[in-house]
Amino acid sequence: MEFDVENVDGGRAVVAPRGRLNMVAAPRLRALIARTVDDGHRQVVVDLAATEFMDSSGLGALIAGLKTARQAGGDLRIARVTPQVAMVLQLTNLDRVLRPYDSVEAAFGAR
Amino acid sequence: MPGEPRAVRVLDTCAEPDCLDQVHELLEQLWEDAPEIPAEHRMRFELAVAEVTANIVRHACGERSGNEVALELRLLLFQDRLEAQFRDTGQAAEVDVEAVQMPDELADQGRGLAMARVAADQVAYQRDGEVNRWLVVKRCA
Repeated sequence: MEFDVENVDGGRAVVAPRGRLNMVAAPRLRALIARTVDDGHRQVVVDLAATEFMDSSGLGALIAGLKTARQAGGDLRIARVTPQVAMVLQLTNLDRVLRPYDSVEAAFGAR
Repeated sequence: MPGEPRAVRVLDTCAEPDCLDQVHELLEQLWEDAPEIPAEHRMRFELAVAEVTANIVRHACGERSGNEVALELRLLLFQDRLEAQFRDTGQAAEVDVEAVQMPDELADQGRGLAMARVAADQVAYQRDGEVNRWLVVKRCA
């Protein structure tokens, strides 16, 4: 799995994983989000448009990232989920904790 | 359960993280045998199979390295259901699958088997002599 990172102005960053977000990729996503927040980008949006598959490890990485961002006074949101990722969120009732936004812009814009 | 499978796909591999991609590829092959199965059933079955696979990779090796633990996965397509039959030569799984629950909302680990159980219709584990056997069933009828 590859990760694209875009640092937007004002302490924001977009992280875009590409491929399968599973036990192989999840530790890398955790570390990447931690580094991103540590660098001062505390508002993180994870753009999941190219994440074709996510399992419980990947979900755990998103939750860990959410906690990291919030502990730093920021937040983590997710955007553009694929049907498979939407299903994982619904099965675990986590689509309120990790509410999927239709676009990266909407994810940043929401309060 | 009665009936002969319409299609069977088999993977012989070992309990290393690389096997996860092989498992997804095997599922893709099975979908070629069964193009009529709706996406929802496919996604749920795939998720449960991937979670059990990850559980085996994570826990079955013990002191051994992953390439010393053999893993065989058989995917079977029946008239009314999909089955995944796992056989691995790793250490016994110390888990009561029936008792597995989802952890708290903000838990960032420990959801794997609970995820498999909510995605599929049945997830079962059995120690059989020196091997582990996992079963995942997703009804499609």
